[in-house]
Amino acid sequence: MITRPSRRDLLRLGAAGALALPWLLRRDRRARADALTGGARRLIVFYFPDGVVGASQNGEPSEWHPTGGETGFTLPWMLEPLAPFRDQCVFFRGLSMGSTDAGSHPGGAKKLLTATDGGYGRSIDQHLAATVGADRPFRHLYLGAMANHNGASGDKHISYVGPGQTVPPEDDPRAAFQRLFGAGTPPPPGPGPGTDGDDPRVARRRSVLDTSRQELLALRGRLDTRDQQRLDLHAEAIRELEARLGGGGGGGGASCGEPYLDTTGIDGSTLYDPGHFPDVLRAQIDLAVQATACELTRVAVIQASSHTSELIMSRFADTPMYDPGFDMRSHQASHYGPAHDEARREFLAYRLQRRWWVEQFAYLLDQLRQWPEGDGTMLDHSLVLLCTEVCDGNTHLHDDMPLVLAGGGGGAIRPGRLLSFSYRRHADLLLAIAHAMGDPLGSFGDASGGPLPGLLA
Amino acid sequence: MSRAVPLLAVVILGAGGGCGGGRDRYDYAASEGATRYAELCAVCHGEEGQGGLGPVLVDSPRTLEHLRDTIETRMPPNDPSRCTGACADELARFIRDGLRSDALACDGVEPSPRQLRLLTRREYRATVHDLFGDDAPALACARATDCAYRDGCVAGACEPSACNAHTFVFDPQGRALSTVHVAGTFNGWAGTIAAGGLALTRDADGLFVGTFTLPEGSSAYKLVLDEGEWVTDPRGTATQPDGFGGQNSVLALSCGDDGGDDPTVGFPAETRPAGFLFDDHAGAGVVTSVHLDAYLAAAEALADRLAAAAATRWPCDWAGDRGGCADALLDATARGVLRRRPTADERARYRALIVDAASATEGVATALHAMLVSPAFLYRAELGEPHGDGYRLTGDEVAAALSYGLWGTTPDAALWAAADAGELTTPDGIERHVRRMLDDPRARDLVGRFALQWVSGEAIETVDKQPDRFAGFDARVRAALAAETRNFAAHVVFDGGGTLRELLTADYTVVDEVAAAHYGIAGVTGGPRPVPYGDGRRAGVLGHATMLATQAHSDQTSPIRRGLFVRRNLLCHDLPPPPPTAGGVPDVDPDATTRERFAQHTADPVCAGCHTYIDGLGFGFEHFDPVGRWRDDEDGRPIDATGEVRGLEGLGTGAGATPYATVPELAAMLADSDAAAACFVRQSFRFTRGYVETLAERCARRSLTERFRASGGDIRELLVDLFVSPDFLERR
Repeated sequence: MITRPSRRDLLRLGAAGALALPWLLRRDRRARADALTGGARRLIVFYFPDGVVGASQNGEPSEWHPTGGETGFTLPWMLEPLAPFRDQCVFFRGLSMGSTDAGSHPGGAKKLLTATDGGYGRSIDQHLAATVGADRPFRHLYLGAMANHNGASGDKHISYVGPGQTVPPEDDPRAAFQRLFGAGTPPPPGPGPGTDGDDPRVARRRSVLDTSRQELLALRGRLDTRDQQRLDLHAEAIRELEARLGGGGGGGGASCGEPYLDTTGIDGSTLYDPGHFPDVLRAQIDLAVQATACELTRVAVIQASSHTSELIMSRFADTPMYDPGFDMRSHQASHYGPAHDEARREFLAYRLQRRWWVEQFAYLLDQLRQWPEGDGTMLDHSLVLLCTEVCDGNTHLHDDMPLVLAGGGGGAIRPGRLLSFSYRRHADLLLAIAHAMGDPLGSFGDASGGPLPGLLA
Repeated sequence: MSRAVPLLAVVILGAGGGCGGGRDRYDYAASEGATRYAELCAVCHGEEGQGGLGPVLVDSPRTLEHLRDTIETRMPPNDPSRCTGACADELARFIRDGLRSDALACDGVEPSPRQLRLLTRREYRATVHDLFGDDAPALACARATDCAYRDGCVAGACEPSACNAHTFVFDPQGRALSTVHVAGTFNGWAGTIAAGGLALTRDADGLFVGTFTLPEGSSAYKLVLDEGEWVTDPRGTATQPDGFGGQNSVLALSCGDDGGDDPTVGFPAETRPAGFLFDDHAGAGVVTSVHLDAYLAAAEALADRLAAAAATRWPCDWAGDRGGCADALLDATARGVLRRRPTADERARYRALIVDAASATEGVATALHAMLVSPAFLYRAELGEPHGDGYRLTGDEVAAALSYGLWGTTPDAALWAAADAGELTTPDGIERHVRRMLDDPRARDLVGRFALQWVSGEAIETVDKQPDRFAGFDARVRAALAAETRNFAAHVVFDGGGTLRELLTADYTVVDEVAAAHYGIAGVTGGPRPVPYGDGRRAGVLGHATMLATQAHSDQTSPIRRGLFVRRNLLCHDLPPPPPTAGGVPDVDPDATTRERFAQHTADPVCAGCHTYIDGLGFGFEHFDPVGRWRDDEDGRPIDATGEVRGLEGLGTGAGATPYATVPELAAMLADSDAAAACFVRQSFRFTRGYVETLAERCARRSLTERFRASGGDIRELLVDLFVSPDFLERR
């Protein structure tokens, strides 16, 4: 069951609901068909914590992985929310992360997008942001839902800007909205109304950044390698902002219409209230879709909570998980015991929770499918990766990773299939994603040799 | 290549001897194997291979091949796959070459690494406040429109609104209007005043004015004229598209730490490496475009405000002699902002920004804006200048390091003067200033913040608790409990005995009315004050909810987390993570106490290997419920809160278990232990230096630890020693 608000709900929802109409109408217009030259237009990574109901310690089979052949496969109950998108997804069996460092949850989170043990490398999303995403006003968009809860340590985050170096996601959709669409961000240069080239604030920011860049350069020479690398990141940030201000960076082409954010239930006091987690996650998904729809960015990562999650999913109202009298946390449920035992409360909760994450992913796909793009929808031109840091939450194995790649990638991949391997490195999938995004990367992390066979068109 | 600084350590810190060994020292700082050892092996084999739960490794007679083979196939015992191949090679080489008694001996103190430290949020906030804060003369005003956007005009002077309030002003400019009201996300875009629109009232000058308390965070709004015409607020500075081709005004309100006007409100979250308790890890702070967006916006707002008041803040003939005024402004501000004098190039650039701008105001705004996003402002440098065969911090760098290390903010005039006089590049001069600074209230504040992080207590503000069972555990109570730990630590260090023992064992705490009510302590009204526990139940920080509630689940206690807290935070025993198939938290069972449900840990031999060192420490806290209140029983079932301590000085050390019956007894054992003292020095070292110590800094830590023990655990003296220690001034 996909819990998607109807149009009428959306119009009614939210304090600013009445203002949403023009944005909704815009969906019905045909998006521009220009410049769709093949290849994936965007990558959206959707992460959730603590694995799935995989093969149990006692050897019972996975309740997550589809069974059957490449095209004639069956989706298990847990993946049923993806049934409407079956033809736009690739499912996998036998993808392994190989060895990992530092325990299973943190080790898995470090390796998930970096494909290196201990996270000693740039993650694929940050890599693509710096290559094929570098000409966008925002190279990278990292949105979270309670991903920084209780001062989460760095190893809770899956996006690595350099070896061992994570960055924190933005957990407040209102702040992210403001950054992406607010007045602080002058529109990129281009013909027509909205050109802001004469704004004195833009000129000032440009000279401020220019000053900053010169000072950074002078400082860099005095540093050792580690600090030089940090300053290089800082310098990259300056370049991104300069390009956004129209310093010749060609950030044009974005037409965002009237962006809209449904902030129902979200304010400073509910941002870290598990009862409002679904509202926050929904808003972040909406934002990622809008930001990539109008090409503000090509790479977005949505991180829902973080590994060994304390998220109390039994507080999600209007879901089968709801139980106000008993606090069931994500990580707690994942330790359901050695068997798929329906007599155990944790196991039943874990099943429901994992399906709920799939429903959220399906909501993301559904949003993408509602936006026309080129000769199809946004989903046809996107790559959307569903991932978590372990397979089964109890055994913590990093084999048979529960990954789903959705979207047509602009024709770069052939969806609608189940691809089966035997201990094939998940790095090869990340490499294939890079290729589909137009980055002919030779190797990535501990990839075993070339992009995942049979995936690319 | 590593160097030792021979003389000062021995003389000043009385460092332990050791006869030196060869010139060819093992380079611990550069050793990958040393890093892996600290992470994977030290907890059992001892930090320096001295043994414990695992055998002694120092001066091992084993061959490299034997060591590597053992690591590959058997170590660490709970997961031998953790270190194989290159990792096993590095580790074996380290054990053979690094864990040698001659290499480990000290004949001096190694310098610390040179590093850049990005300002933390609290440092940024305090810095901006101290550089430009409340000494600003209030702007005279006749009406609110004379004041900055968020300010109102009160008795002829501009006054900022309360942190969560905002003054709206609309000038009808002669139009005859009946009503003006505010509609936005906070009132459902009320189209009429009857529907909840915030009505402005007309003042004597004919302006429509109103001050309202609004939700914190970002709100979008419009002004509505005569309940029909929706307009963007002409005084607003931020807007976003309204969906109808126009713009909504946007207002961001925050009541952060210092209440109101928090410049860091839009900054990205701060994270720290796993296991690092403090917010100031030097390597964790990177500037991405998300950070830079936030820095740029914060600096812009600040620069605008300062520039608008430039004529009063920097009185000068701005119209007649902008160049001269620019010089005066740079003389007054640049060193404070950059934490050193600007170079000739920098000075020329800032001057040009002021002089070449369209107006003086715009020029000042641009120059300040640029200074406030310059790397010299955003990072504090501990880079030094070449000195001998290493580096030595400059006087300005020492001034900043002392100031941020002891006050959490930018240096005062006396520190800059001391830097100019060359007083801060000698241990004597540094010591004099540290002692002076410790007498300043800002040191109390910083010690309080350190203590709250030391007990992992900041999460008290956000940790989940079941709303039905703990309905009273609201934001106000949580804030009061965080303040308890801060105030208590400051009291111990500056008003009390000043020792680690007192932090751990004090038979009192410092609470205000709200925190006292939470604990059920009678007779406290108003602000924080010392209150005796007097019931033999609690002891020092071990009785604080900042520890007890954050190391507990939402609906039940966690003896495991509380036990691990003692191990990790207080003893620096970093136990390995549980094996992958460890069970989770047992179900809440109405027929069993928490302790009974967790008993299987120690019954199962696989679990017992570690849990024998954890659970006995945690069970002693069972009389404290998930929010840190005393409970006589657990839903009617009797509580067994006796515990036992094993391996206090290191896993595998000591003879068996020592039982205890109460938390004060446990606290006394900890206070008597060498491990707790050494760990406190390590934690203080991490907080002050901004990195995790390695064996390269072992000699500095040995000296500091010896001095700390000899002083009876005197925290003020430790703070002095941390900055007088040669590894502070000298860098590699």
